[in-house]
Amino acid sequence: MTDYGSEKMAEEERNSSAEKLKEKANNHFKDKDYENAIKYYSEALELNPSNAIYYSNRSLAYLRTECYGYALADATRALELDKNYIKGYYRRATSNMALGKFKAALKDYETVVRVRPNDKDAKMKYQECNKIVKQKAFERAIAGDELKRSVVDSLDIENMSSAMVMVEILVQVKEVLTKLPSLVEITLQETEKLTICGDTHGQYYDLLNIFELNSLPSPTNPYLFNGDFVDRGSFSVEVILTLFGFKLLYPEHFHLLRGNHETDNMNQMYGFEGEVKAKYSSQMFQLFSEVFQWLPLAQCINNKVLVMHGGLFSEDGVTLDDIRKIDRNRQPPDSGPMCDLLWSDPQSQNGRSVSKRGVSCQFGPDVTERFLEQNKLQYIVRSHEVKAEGYEVTHSGKCITVFSAPNYCDQMGNKGAYIHLRGSDLKPEFHQFTAVPHPNVKPMAYANSLMQLGMM
Amino acid sequence: MASRQFLSCSDTADEAVRATCDDASTCKRFATSKGYWPDHYVQYFVRQIGERKAPEINRGYYGRVKGMNLLLDSFLKKTQCNCQVVNLGAGLDTTFWRLKDENVMPKKLFEVDFPMIVARKIHHIKTKPPLSKPLIETHSTDSLLLDGHSLDSDRYCIIGADLRDISVLEDKLKKFQINPELPTLFLSECVLVYMSPEQSSRLLHWITETFPTAMFINYEQVNMNDRFGQIMIENLQRRQCNLAGVDLCQSLDSQRERFLSSGWESVKALDMMTVYSMLPQEDVARIERLEFLDERELLQQLLQHYCICWAVKDRLSLDLSQIGF
Repeated sequence: MTDYGSEKMAEEERNSSAEKLKEKANNHFKDKDYENAIKYYSEALELNPSNAIYYSNRSLAYLRTECYGYALADATRALELDKNYIKGYYRRATSNMALGKFKAALKDYETVVRVRPNDKDAKMKYQECNKIVKQKAFERAIAGDELKRSVVDSLDIENMSSAMVMVEILVQVKEVLTKLPSLVEITLQETEKLTICGDTHGQYYDLLNIFELNSLPSPTNPYLFNGDFVDRGSFSVEVILTLFGFKLLYPEHFHLLRGNHETDNMNQMYGFEGEVKAKYSSQMFQLFSEVFQWLPLAQCINNKVLVMHGGLFSEDGVTLDDIRKIDRNRQPPDSGPMCDLLWSDPQSQNGRSVSKRGVSCQFGPDVTERFLEQNKLQYIVRSHEVKAEGYEVTHSGKCITVFSAPNYCDQMGNKGAYIHLRGSDLKPEFHQFTAVPHPNVKPMAYANSLMQLGMM
Repeated sequence: MASRQFLSCSDTADEAVRATCDDASTCKRFATSKGYWPDHYVQYFVRQIGERKAPEINRGYYGRVKGMNLLLDSFLKKTQCNCQVVNLGAGLDTTFWRLKDENVMPKKLFEVDFPMIVARKIHHIKTKPPLSKPLIETHSTDSLLLDGHSLDSDRYCIIGADLRDISVLEDKLKKFQINPELPTLFLSECVLVYMSPEQSSRLLHWITETFPTAMFINYEQVNMNDRFGQIMIENLQRRQCNLAGVDLCQSLDSQRERFLSSGWESVKALDMMTVYSMLPQEDVARIERLEFLDERELLQQLLQHYCICWAVKDRLSLDLSQIGF
């Protein structure tokens, strides 16, 4: 016998011994004795280390004992030895699923489906995995907690929120919003509490801070965000995605009202359109614009407290019914009740004045008084103006301003605030907070004030 | 193994200060592109960047440019152009070309800035006919005196120098024929604040000792003790930009005092909120229609934290103290 011949014979002997060990392992596996299955697969591998099947089987045994890392390693090894070994792809996909790496798993299921187009099981697994990938993307997009941990995580949102997920969310939010009247009416029970937030303006990290301080939204922790979610800040997309996500999760307990910055003119100039175009496309911005048009204009709580972004009206005699009847699915007109709701400001002197803003008006305490009396309300809550303390009480408590973007534009040094409203007494309780650090990212459409640093 | 620090601490600080030249230029470029004020020459010094500037920034620069120009033009008129203008830390300023177009040039316009900035400016002038042609037209011979860090012509001189080194500054100005007997206007926009109070005081002293008839117009920060001011300082520090002279920017009083204590006879100071309200209001109304400002508070805060301060020394009794808004 030649040397080669004797080598060959030795190898054949080893292989047949390995096969015997494999059979032994398989039997243990059938008996659900996974530890021993692993033991004997390992011994088989010692004798025959280039057998993809052994790795694949051991991978499955590891999966059963929840050693997902080992399972993944074995599946990967199996595929290295034989890239056409379909079971290997299955094993690797399963391992990745178990490790929460759904995108990676999806890739392997895709491969199997491609190679075996008639395999129903493969197709089913692919579809299931696909659903999970989308679901996870959505959950990650709307869950604040994990994302707060690091900048890398927040960048994850940008990767995960693919256009598909975004469109899905927007389409669903639009569905929800179109069913709402222009004046939303809610009842707070005795024991219930509502949190009202003012402008957030793309300050995503400060929004997360609100959820940190005041807990995440839930049916027992309802929120109302009073407009101006986007523009000026660097993370308008992240903010609106989060708010829309919660709207879908808790439609009855998470409320959004339209602000003057939920309009095309403002978005074009103050960053949101630029940000959406850069991160997605113009068509995506179109979709946002359409959704914004369906945001309700005001909210009435227990028939006593009225909330709107801007303020009251350029003329006396406007009733809640008039607000209800506003045809809001449009850009706000230059004047009239819809414009006023989004743009007006209170003033200290009685009567009305031309607005410093050049749109709508300024209304005095007497205007507020008359409106409240006519509509049998106690007071109004509005936002729209930055306040050093995050909130301001004017018109003898009948007109409250709440603003939730602290250190606005990285310059103003103001506090943010939110209001707790209890169903039992409807007395506003103010909570202030300061700005938290954020990544040094400038808004898309224009240089951030941080970069701008005034006029140098 | 010896290691050599590439940039010393002060180099980094100076670099940060030089970078503010780009801030100012790009802001002015953007504002002019939107029609806030005419400037046909800034485009040759700085490219149009893709991003917008916020409306309050544009309005702020409008106030600054209009305010400074108003006082400069008044000085030229009062002296019937029989004067000199020295722009300290001029950056990529286009005043020379404006004055030439309007036919109201001083006897000579001097600009001083860091050699690196001056080199850049000279490069643009050399390579762009719209810039060089007007310059050559004002010059008596065919050739301008041009080297890496300076440009000299009959009516326009650009000098690379460090304002903290008075003796070098003096030498260079004298080399390029500055005439201390002529009424001389000194301009600085956000320049003194980057020098320590001692350094800027030396500069101001030197001017009053050397120029018997002079005016100084200073644009820079004011009211810096409040929250807004503190945040501005912090934001700048994060950019390694140190407002070494910020102590003098506490109030209009401190701004006035620094001039009175360095040999100037009289001084006036107004915050930009006031200046803005005193500019020709028809034009203000025009620019306010260019872009809609969503939050007036932002503009207000900005304007309240900058000022124009102008000081006079009037040996020739030209009534320079009458100049104002």
